[in-house]
Amino acid sequence: MGDAAAGALQAAGDVWPGWLGGVAIGVFTTLFLWATGRVLGLSSAYGEACGALGVGYFRRTDQGFGQRWRLWFAAGLPLGGAVAALLGAEGWSVQTSMGTLYESMLPAQDAARAAVLALGGACIGVGARMAGGCQSGHSIAGLALLNPPSLVASIGFFVGGIVMVQGLFALSGATL
Amino acid sequence: MAADEARAGMGAAGAGAAPHGHPAPAIAFLLFGMLFALLLSKAGATTYDYYAALFLFRDLQLMWVIGAGALTGALLIALLRAAGARVWWGGGRVEPAGKPMRRGLLPGALLLGLGWGLAGACPGTVLVMAGEGKTSALWTIAGVGLGTWLYGLLARGRAVEPEATVDNQANAPASAAPPPSPGV
Repeated sequence: MGDAAAGALQAAGDVWPGWLGGVAIGVFTTLFLWATGRVLGLSSAYGEACGALGVGYFRRTDQGFGQRWRLWFAAGLPLGGAVAALLGAEGWSVQTSMGTLYESMLPAQDAARAAVLALGGACIGVGARMAGGCQSGHSIAGLALLNPPSLVASIGFFVGGIVMVQGLFALSGATL
Repeated sequence: MAADEARAGMGAAGAGAAPHGHPAPAIAFLLFGMLFALLLSKAGATTYDYYAALFLFRDLQLMWVIGAGALTGALLIALLRAAGARVWWGGGRVEPAGKPMRRGLLPGALLLGLGWGLAGACPGTVLVMAGEGKTSALWTIAGVGLGTWLYGLLARGRAVEPEATVDNQANAPASAAPPPSPGV
């Protein structure tokens, strides 16, 4: 039954309908390209940061790195997140809860949860570099460019996500 | 951002409207990042449970976001190209390069997907989540940084396929010959 999920998701408050959020993001992607000539993408900003900290691979321009704009764009995200929270119905606050579903699927103990999240993050980091991009570059921008490799990548993202969450859900004994 | 939009519109109106000819300033990227964060937040992409609900097929909010986003972007970008629009900062034609196929693409995508499900966030949304005050995001960000670092160390000295995270084939001034596109 979907009641629990619906309840959990209502806590998100003033979220737009999915199609509207999508249209807004599609318009944004286009304006960003039009204004700056850059294709939307986030994961390589982590590479740029590693490059700035001395990892030589991420300074290779033949690999598409050495683009300082990515760091500025990425720096705007937490700022925008803070603004979004401040403008939201509930204001900005420190939130330790991940919401009903993740709270029931992930370990409750702080250290174990931190380790699980860092492991998930590491999979994201390695996977994004192997795939040459993440959801923003492949799924939002890549699909908008009708780029076949980006469709393959997007399907791969979803298959991985489905396998992991279905598995977590079954193993944790969580219920909807 | 409204000003950007209006100026971009002028720049791309073509005939006579002279584009800037120099790259976008850092502050523009910072502001674009903030705007993107606001939209991701409003779309529900910074709410952990929307990811779990999506992969459990209980709530397809984010499927709609990605689907409508890609469709809207495809239509508008096709229009820009058909109209021969020019990039406002930089001046070249709007001619974005798609990312190339590479051997690691599918396994990498699957690995990223597993991490996506485990952490309930993407490389971009997790930065927004941190700004919203979600403390769990900090661990995930550390993990993404660590994974990226690890890849960079392992890839060093190897003959790796180009990532070609190159953006616009025509990011150079309009008069210059298009740079070689690593994506093709």
